[in-house]
Amino acid sequence: MMSKVTVDPYELLANLENILDSDPHIEEVGFIHPSQFAAFDGEGAVIPSSSTGNTFEVLDEINKPKSEGASSFENVFLYREHKLGISSLSLFLLYNAAKDAFFTSYRSYRLSSDPLIKKAAEIDVMKHSRALLLLSSDFGTAWNSRKMIVSKKSLPSLLMDELHLSALVLSYSPKSERSWSHRRWVIKMIAQKDEDLQDIVQKESVFVKTIVGNYKMNYRAWSYRCWLVSYMSITQILHELQISRDWAALHVADNSCYHYRSCLLLKIIEKMHHDHVSDCLPHVEIRRLWQQELDWVASLINRYVGREALWLHRRFLSLIWMKHLANDDDQIALCNSCADNIENVSRFVKDELIFAQQCSIVPDNDFEDYEAQAIHSADYIAWLAKQMPVSFFVELEKSSHYETFKLLLYQNGKGSLWESMAASWRRSA
Amino acid sequence: MVKITAMLVMKYVSEGADPIILANASDVSNFGFFQRPSVKEFVVFFGRTVAKRTPLNQRQSVKHEEYKVHSYNRNGLCALGFMDDHYPVRSAFSLLNQQVLDEYQKNFGDSWKTVEADVTQQWPYLTESLTKFQDPAEADKLLKIQRELDETKIILHKTIDSVLERGEKLDSLVEKSSDLSAASQMFYKQAKKTNQCCTVL
Repeated sequence: MMSKVTVDPYELLANLENILDSDPHIEEVGFIHPSQFAAFDGEGAVIPSSSTGNTFEVLDEINKPKSEGASSFENVFLYREHKLGISSLSLFLLYNAAKDAFFTSYRSYRLSSDPLIKKAAEIDVMKHSRALLLLSSDFGTAWNSRKMIVSKKSLPSLLMDELHLSALVLSYSPKSERSWSHRRWVIKMIAQKDEDLQDIVQKESVFVKTIVGNYKMNYRAWSYRCWLVSYMSITQILHELQISRDWAALHVADNSCYHYRSCLLLKIIEKMHHDHVSDCLPHVEIRRLWQQELDWVASLINRYVGREALWLHRRFLSLIWMKHLANDDDQIALCNSCADNIENVSRFVKDELIFAQQCSIVPDNDFEDYEAQAIHSADYIAWLAKQMPVSFFVELEKSSHYETFKLLLYQNGKGSLWESMAASWRRSA
Repeated sequence: MVKITAMLVMKYVSEGADPIILANASDVSNFGFFQRPSVKEFVVFFGRTVAKRTPLNQRQSVKHEEYKVHSYNRNGLCALGFMDDHYPVRSAFSLLNQQVLDEYQKNFGDSWKTVEADVTQQWPYLTESLTKFQDPAEADKLLKIQRELDETKIILHKTIDSVLERGEKLDSLVEKSSDLSAASQMFYKQAKKTNQCCTVL
């Protein structure tokens, strides 16, 4: 009479690690409900041809009952086309086993002085931390143990492996902060070795693009992409602006993607101010680029009525334009009384006021979009007035749009705020 | 880069009855491999829930996280679109009205009035439209053709809760729904617990 057999969590862990070892191209991990095994399995498992072991055999082995009456490991792991599903029922068991195994090997690695034991422990730490991170994405100690081990060697392939693991973790936990920061660490390690980053940075940017396409509102992914900009050459920056344009035009509610564009554009301006840097664009080129971006945003604002992200992007563009680009020469115009400067401000203000005026027309109230557009246009002008020299306000007050503009601010509860700002400007003008 | 996740055509004629699916097209390629079956189930669940609360000849848009479900019930034939927040509302409705409903009537006439159970057969035209109108610029071209000045106002709901009756909770609807498997229920609960968004619709 067989007694009830309980599943050995360490055997489960070993099986998980075997699957990971047998397929170096595994690309996605997910946690699934036990009922889904039947649904997915129906189409049959696909055997990877380039793996070192035969994953199908491994799974076969796992799923075979160990002894009569024992429960098999069926319905714990589902493997298909480089994607691994883990049953949610087994998660807790696996997690505890992985955590125990990790800490045991980690202790051994750190405390042992015998090189042979240390070497064996090192292999275990890498193996167990990998399994652990696939179950708990932000396990800091696990990530750091890998950093510790990898940084002691100088094999570039190891760093690539770390990127691969991070990508795998992000496949089930796309906002995992530690996974993103691990990628930053890898880039910094590569940069330290003075190696050419262009290729890697390019690939990383594409990687972020895939992630944010699938999982929206991923601030950390976008932060990482912005961080990459500091490693980009001018050519790369221009390329990024180019290829992300169409994507941005289809994601007009996504403020992060416009913020990314402003990071790229800001980098161009920064390079412009470092004269000794050879990697920068001529002033006239930057102005052309800026005008292009302003026109492009204007067309999007007209097309996608009432989108705040677009207006915010325009604020950035206008501000930089006025501060750094409106003048024809490379000098930053600090002199507010220069005739040229006043001329440029005047022209710019007139253009922006005409634009805002067009956007404040509300033909119907059906979707709240025209209303939103009008309010955004008023907020935009108010914000500009605050950022620009007083001459902007002077022009604004003279313009035919002033009354409509004030009305919109009052409608939105910003009337008295505006009046107090306007009063102080009148005094100083 | 999926702007339209799904489009449905449903029959909803008498108040209180469960809407019946006449056509269903979805693109779940952007979702994680293991989530895709659940996403499809949630499309059906939300579709039925919203359609059931779209009275005859009414249009409404329901926002859920960064998706919007647009629904137009034209004399009992109801078209629904699951679009990203970026997708302009006007374009969405011109798509549902002309591209979907007009074409459905042309192809199937009034045969839908006698359908009593969910139709499982694919309507290839709907799947093609899903791909074609990913770019709202395509849908905008339809706006130019639309001449009828629709008097019906479009009701905008900021959350799905505002569509539900008083006392009704989304959680209990999810639990009771026969459209959602145990797996989908699990995904839903998980997403709520971890306060994750965008795991499922």
